[in-house]
Amino acid sequence: MSDVVILGTGMHPFGRFEKSYEEIGAVAAAAALRDAGVEWKQIQAAYLSRMYLPATSGARILRRLGATDISIIDIEAACASGGAALRQAVLAVRSGEVDLVMVLGCEKMPRGFMDPSMIYSQWQIELGMSMNPAYWSMRAQRHMHDYGTTELQIAKVAYKNHKMSVHNPYSMYRKEFSLDEIMNSPFVCDPIRRLEICAPDDGAAAVIVASEKRARELGASAKAINIASCSHTIARYSADFRCPADSMSATANNPGPTEVTAQQAYERAGLGPQDIDLYEVQDTDAFCEIEIYEGLGLCALGEGGRLIDEGKTDLGGASPVNMSGGLISKGEPVGASHLAQVVEIVTQLRGEAGPRQVAGAKVGLGHVLGAGGNCAVTILTR
Amino acid sequence: MAAGAIAAGKRVPIREGLLAGSLLELDQVRIAGSKCTSCGETSLGTMSVCANCGRDTVRAVALSDRGVLWSYTVVRHKPPGDYRGPDPFVPFGLGLVELPDGLRVMSPIECNIDELKIGLALQFRPYVRMDADGREVVAFTFVPAAKGAGHV
Repeated sequence: MSDVVILGTGMHPFGRFEKSYEEIGAVAAAAALRDAGVEWKQIQAAYLSRMYLPATSGARILRRLGATDISIIDIEAACASGGAALRQAVLAVRSGEVDLVMVLGCEKMPRGFMDPSMIYSQWQIELGMSMNPAYWSMRAQRHMHDYGTTELQIAKVAYKNHKMSVHNPYSMYRKEFSLDEIMNSPFVCDPIRRLEICAPDDGAAAVIVASEKRARELGASAKAINIASCSHTIARYSADFRCPADSMSATANNPGPTEVTAQQAYERAGLGPQDIDLYEVQDTDAFCEIEIYEGLGLCALGEGGRLIDEGKTDLGGASPVNMSGGLISKGEPVGASHLAQVVEIVTQLRGEAGPRQVAGAKVGLGHVLGAGGNCAVTILTR
Repeated sequence: MAAGAIAAGKRVPIREGLLAGSLLELDQVRIAGSKCTSCGETSLGTMSVCANCGRDTVRAVALSDRGVLWSYTVVRHKPPGDYRGPDPFVPFGLGLVELPDGLRVMSPIECNIDELKIGLALQFRPYVRMDADGREVVAFTFVPAAKGAGHV
């Protein structure tokens, strides 16, 4: 067992709800406490991962579980907020000051394209540079040009993830689409199509994190899942053309944020891609998943398309990716997305994932990547 | 104060520090850059420190007005927020234009969207937009370079 473990997890489904964010968040928090078999009064610190909620949302959500005087802080690192928050919890437990903490991710977002003023400058908005999918699409277009990746390969990623979502009760969309339906859905930003893209929505996910010693004292060691590593980094200079970038170097050659963060997480865990049984990754668009295969080391640069063609990332393949249905199906309530990946991996490692179960899964990796090149990777083991 | 300076005060760049040259002479306007004499990187806009190495060894440069399309997309939906493009909305090209100065700049690409392709030779084109408050705002786009004119 590693020094820091997950004792329990909880979810509020992802989707669109006529409920306040406080209500949504409290559902996941209470479920995680129940699953861990601990009381709210035992928790010594809490971290809320969120991007689009107001100040002190963590305290506002968690007061619904009862009054407390513990430290509750909100953490934001764009799409990687959940990884940044989980990392703070791990560091706090490792410091020895606390040994039983909660990490909650929660978001409630308006429909449609995200509010551009959150990440773009006024001039970018005026010139029409304020759509996140435009950036993803330019990456895809260049990858297709450099490596021969095809629109059909991109569609196959969306096909796989939609297909798996049917088995995930927490997913917003739970509908299988044929390759024809995906390829015939309209472009949002060429070459990315409507059925290949994720939507912002509402949702929450929570985990209870403890020291290995505390887990033993609670008699919870048997079901504890190890946090082998949890890394968060920001893209190096010009290493990632992603919103809200207005330019990039044509000469710098820094490794991308997925490569850098994964490398750090692999090293700290003493594991590599050959050891990982399943992945949950940032498929905000279907092309992005192909690029992430390469960044995580599932294949060489430029070979991501081949991986999806060969079925290696499907259920039953050597490296199943996004068996939860991914963000394409679940939607992306930004603050909650990584913690929901962690919940999915814990469920898989416990062998409780039902029809989407990866047989014999012992090691799982969660990856998120977003604005400003924020990237987080968490590796869990049992 | 010279008459030109007063007029120039009313004509503003779409973002301070993004354009070089007199805004009154559109054919002299270029994208502003900062070249670092320590690390050699050239970055977009007028900066006091290098975007790469953080040193203050940067000098202002005017970037080339010619480039090639490095990647692109077609924006099929009206962008959210205060978009100032044509109303009603028309799908448009958006791309990364690689300049010989060693950087790629994101810009709208004004052309028939069927013409968009990686490697397309492009020409910088500043233009004046009248805002509701009476200010003349200098914005920019790239257009396909005239045949025989692309040389980067």
